[in-house]
Amino acid sequence: MTPIAFINDQPFSITPGETILKFVRRNFGHDFVPTLCDAPNLEPFGSCRVCSVDVALVQAGNAKAQASCHTPVIPNSYIYTDSDRIKKLRKNIIELVLTDHPLDCLTCEVNNNCELQTVAARVGIRDVRYPAGKNHLDKKKDLSHPYMTSDFSKCINCFRCVRACDEVQGEFVLSMSGRGFDSHIIKSNENNFFESDCVSCGACAQACPTSAISDVFESKSVVADKKVRTVCTYCGVGCNLDVAVVNGKVKSIQAPYDSDVNQGHTCLKGRFAFSFYNHPDRIKTPMIRRNGELQPATWDEAYNFIAEKLTTILKDYGADSIAGISSARCTNEENYIMQKFIRAVIGTNNIDCCARVCHSPTALGMQRAFGTGAATNSVEDIKHTDCIMVIGANPTDAHPVTGAKIKQFFMKGKPTIVIDPRRTELAKYATYHLQLRPGTNVALLNMMMYYIITEKLEAKEFIEKRTEGYNDFCNQILKVDIAEMESITGVDRNLVREAAMAYAKAPNAMSFHGLGVTEHTQGSYTVMLISDLAMITGNIGRKGVGVNPLRGQNNVQGAADMGCQPHQGAGYMNAYDPEINKQYEAFYKRKIPFGKGLKIPEMFDAAIEGNLKAIWLMGEDVVQTDPNTNKVIAAMKNLDLLVLQEIFMTETCKYATVVLPGATFLEKSGTYTNAERRIQKVQKVVEPLEGTKADGQIIVDIMNRMGYSQAPYEADTMLEEISQIVPFFAGVKWSELGDNGKQWPVRKDGTDTEILHLENFQRVDGKGKFHYFDFKESNEIVKNGKQYPYIITTNRELEHYNSGTMTRRTGNVDILTEDVLMIHPDDAIKNLINEGDMVCVESPRGKVDIKARITDEVKPGILSTTFHFPDVMLNIITSDEHDSEAMCPEYKVVAVNIRKSKGSFKKQNAPLKV
Amino acid sequence: MGKKILLEHIDKPGIKSYEVYRQNGGYNSVEKALKEMKPSDIVEEVKKSGLRGRGGAGFPAGMKWSFIDKKSGNPRYLVCNADESEPGTFKDRYLMEFIPHLLIEGMITSSIALESNLGFIYIRGEYKWIKKILEQAISEARAAGWLGHNILGTGYSLELVVHPGAGAYICGEETALLESLEGKRGNPRIKPPFPAVKGLYGNPTVVNNVETIATVPWIINNGGDAYAKIGIGRSTGTKLISACGNINKPGVYEIELGLPVEEFLNSDEYCGGVHNGKMLKAVVAGGSSVPILPAELFLKTKKGESRLMSYESLSDGGFESGTMLGSGGFIVYDEDQCIVRNTWNFSRFYHHESCGQCSPCREGTGWMEKVLHNLESGHGKMSDIDLLWDIQKKIDGNTICPLGDAAAWPVASAIRHFREEFEWHIEYTHEAQKRNYGLLKSTKEFFAASVV
Repeated sequence: MTPIAFINDQPFSITPGETILKFVRRNFGHDFVPTLCDAPNLEPFGSCRVCSVDVALVQAGNAKAQASCHTPVIPNSYIYTDSDRIKKLRKNIIELVLTDHPLDCLTCEVNNNCELQTVAARVGIRDVRYPAGKNHLDKKKDLSHPYMTSDFSKCINCFRCVRACDEVQGEFVLSMSGRGFDSHIIKSNENNFFESDCVSCGACAQACPTSAISDVFESKSVVADKKVRTVCTYCGVGCNLDVAVVNGKVKSIQAPYDSDVNQGHTCLKGRFAFSFYNHPDRIKTPMIRRNGELQPATWDEAYNFIAEKLTTILKDYGADSIAGISSARCTNEENYIMQKFIRAVIGTNNIDCCARVCHSPTALGMQRAFGTGAATNSVEDIKHTDCIMVIGANPTDAHPVTGAKIKQFFMKGKPTIVIDPRRTELAKYATYHLQLRPGTNVALLNMMMYYIITEKLEAKEFIEKRTEGYNDFCNQILKVDIAEMESITGVDRNLVREAAMAYAKAPNAMSFHGLGVTEHTQGSYTVMLISDLAMITGNIGRKGVGVNPLRGQNNVQGAADMGCQPHQGAGYMNAYDPEINKQYEAFYKRKIPFGKGLKIPEMFDAAIEGNLKAIWLMGEDVVQTDPNTNKVIAAMKNLDLLVLQEIFMTETCKYATVVLPGATFLEKSGTYTNAERRIQKVQKVVEPLEGTKADGQIIVDIMNRMGYSQAPYEADTMLEEISQIVPFFAGVKWSELGDNGKQWPVRKDGTDTEILHLENFQRVDGKGKFHYFDFKESNEIVKNGKQYPYIITTNRELEHYNSGTMTRRTGNVDILTEDVLMIHPDDAIKNLINEGDMVCVESPRGKVDIKARITDEVKPGILSTTFHFPDVMLNIITSDEHDSEAMCPEYKVVAVNIRKSKGSFKKQNAPLKV
Repeated sequence: MGKKILLEHIDKPGIKSYEVYRQNGGYNSVEKALKEMKPSDIVEEVKKSGLRGRGGAGFPAGMKWSFIDKKSGNPRYLVCNADESEPGTFKDRYLMEFIPHLLIEGMITSSIALESNLGFIYIRGEYKWIKKILEQAISEARAAGWLGHNILGTGYSLELVVHPGAGAYICGEETALLESLEGKRGNPRIKPPFPAVKGLYGNPTVVNNVETIATVPWIINNGGDAYAKIGIGRSTGTKLISACGNINKPGVYEIELGLPVEEFLNSDEYCGGVHNGKMLKAVVAGGSSVPILPAELFLKTKKGESRLMSYESLSDGGFESGTMLGSGGFIVYDEDQCIVRNTWNFSRFYHHESCGQCSPCREGTGWMEKVLHNLESGHGKMSDIDLLWDIQKKIDGNTICPLGDAAAWPVASAIRHFREEFEWHIEYTHEAQKRNYGLLKSTKEFFAASVV
């Protein structure tokens, strides 16, 4: 029999381990018991005591007041939520709190959305019996930060901000100083927000029940015409956002607590960096290059111009002289329509997207190993795992919300492994940091596997039942020369052994990987080896395990799912197979090509060779972000037609023939698929800026111009079309996605999938396949290593997103203002470089000047930097080397030389202003 | 002469040193515990002894020990609470300062019982010199082989660390102490989980008072039953009482529990009577947080029985007419003392020491102090007494840790028993500024009756 307890003499059954507050709320709703220090995403704290209820062991018996938020329900106890005594207690507590609170509610930001105000109203405070005394009403406001604000005269010392900082973000910036009446919140060492180590995630502001901590957008104010729930456009985490709108303009953003993905949390990009959307720099009119200059044009002119040009090129050079590059920043529907346009209307497989430069090796490698190129598990599984391995990823900067969850796990004392050339934030907390030389992932993973086999820690039963190719794999691994690998990677073999054993011995081990895995010449191989590692230890097919790529962009998973790659159409069906093609042909009602298409790097080569005449670029700044900038520029210059859908004048716009103003994520609807295969609704928050259009609509318009009848871009109908062709979208319906979306595969009946490969792998025979690869030094090092002895690797900073097109047009730019070069102190001394000096970094392709930051986060001989700012144009120096299988460029290993810069730094490549 | 357990050898010259301590049978209990007993036997002996926690709450020590989770395989810790900072309590200081090895020996035998290999003595920051004494004792014990690796060749290893607090009374609360020991702000934790399950660094931990731990060697040497025979009823053994206030012989005394309070107060062996032959006005029997009692309720229970120095007798009558043995901080007030001023003084302490975590205590202690200050300085109103009563009631039982209760009880008991003195302060403001109220009417009547 389930245990029961009584609430106000009514019996209810108890869920084991439940607190009184949860028990009461489950039965009587959230607001039945007033609270102050309780918050949905924080552990119970019990400090305000407002949630106290009377608990008696017999009916109407001798009751004791208990703080309901942290007191477990005692079976058969009698809980009285509103006895006279309790009412008086609550009233007295609030009265005490109000003795030190400014009663300026009418002019307060959170008027009508203040938990203190609500509770005070509810308990019925009419006056405060205490004479005026010492108080904190004269505390100064902190307005130092571009986003965060504080006014501690309104602080009620509930610790919610401190706990949010500790428990949600894991930053430990806020803490309580002083004691008793003197207790006050401090930031770092009594700094202001700007000078503190605050990462501006805003968790504290959202947690604060009053306006003691808030933000410049007044996110907690009730001044909003409406709130729209949508999905963040930045990284692949896919945070849900509640966007407040006033007069058709975005006012502020908060994170909904009921979101499965982010549970009320998000980072400064998601929460605050939205002001790019109506920045004056937004492109508001189509432009056509005439006489070498981009000149404003009407949509009709632009469409006619493009249609005419494309038709001519089609006639003169054939469909394969045209290529499309889709965007992982756009919605599934837009990516679907883009590839449909290129394949069905233009008639070529020359379609690719920016997944090429980030996670194409993941898709390819995991497809070969498991049959599906997507994360096997969900982020939620972090709660159920016993060991986490993070390889080639820096999630606390690049995927902050997932990063924060991983960091919380790292701080809980279970074994954790970081494989990264840099001592990233997570590496500082990791049990094992294997700080390898960039480009040696394969060598290191082979070492790990060697030790797992020699220590007899392999999961025999799993290998036997669910995999193939193990014996060959095992024989190859045992031949690995550990001493050689040790010297190649630069990581002590014992450390590797211990880490490998920790991973293998954990009951459930999870791995996360990022671009440090994929952006190498052996990227796909590394992905397959990570898959091997999961299979050899049996860490696939249940909760708390798996191989989980941290997808870079919001919809990089979706862009690939929708068929934005030459060799696979929508739903990953082989685009080169004439039989399968018939299916597409029947569906698109056009002849569909099955000839080989070009991948992005091949497109540039073809353009330089003169074989490619036109590229349609949807929202990608290839000049700033693709490697070897000078080559990319040469390719762009050699085109007859470069159509660019953009929201800002990027570096690539300098070479565009036509620029079409697209719309931002806040201005259109559709779906994004996040890193855990979750298809979530992006909902139009505001109308597109005048003169701009949703990117999907632009493609639809041009399709119609070119004689293909395509219905206008609407999220629901387009999604319906997708669900008819993409098998794993079969049961996806716009109307059924709900607030939290669905994780594919979604069956016809609408049920979705949290964990892949539960029973069988998705490969032909249902088995996972082991692959072995020898370590091979990157060509870049073999060819140039002697002359250019340093290795520079690229990374990301929290405040900016990729080339910074968006984040540089928000307050984030006041927090992080420039790219810097991380350089080890030894190298700095050797080259007479001081902190802040400009350093000339030279590779065989060219040279750039970057400001030095001396740090031991990198090892001697290794440099690291970002490319968020066009001032540096780092990709001038990056190479043409790419992954042998997926052609993902090798951003992470570039042979360079350094010296102190001679000339003063010039802003040669400042962004164009229109 | 009452039975002496803790202070048996206190007067032996050089007892502070290892050699003299050892010559007087010191560390025998360690040998016995390691060589002749299983850890569970030790716990059993302590349970049998009926030893109750000497920090103030009086929770049976053996019972506390038996709660510790030995199954999880996680490290276990023994933490000695030497953060003695309750006004009126200074017994642990005496013990640690003058017979430090007794605590070290107790730490070792107790650690053996708990199968713990690392122990901490969290000592009050202001006891700097005693920290040195304890560290000296620890190094002597280690040199003699009672600490360190493989003690007495039995394979058992133990290290002890003395860690000073930083001047916060709240860190005497066991969970705040653990937080502080972990290097964090000393805020109490919510319970459950109790330290025995999730204590220091999330591992099973026992926190015991200095005196409790120092009693363990005697129990090991002489058996739990022998200890249980000392004392009265469930108040077994002896207790250190730190006596102060208006008495002739302030100091630390070891008494056998069950000693009549009158004897303790008046006998020359102990307090030696009220100073200067004055009349007894009131007593705080167990440290500043326990209810203050007027003389008549202190000497005799409501039922008219003589009170004894025992947990049960002192709390006879509940808070209506009784008090608590508490930590043994025995403060005596003669007829010249002002209860309002004393209550204000205590409130000032609790206000200063409230950690600020729970709103009733953070705000309430401040207001109690402020209102009491107004009363004492002649700016009080009659409604203030009810306001005070209201505040203390809202704090009592409504905070995470007992500091809130401790702040509320002195105020509650002062108003309960000395209301007439409070009212006099308000009614005769000028008079109250010049002289003290003197004895309560009821106390005068009581003494008048007993003279007859």
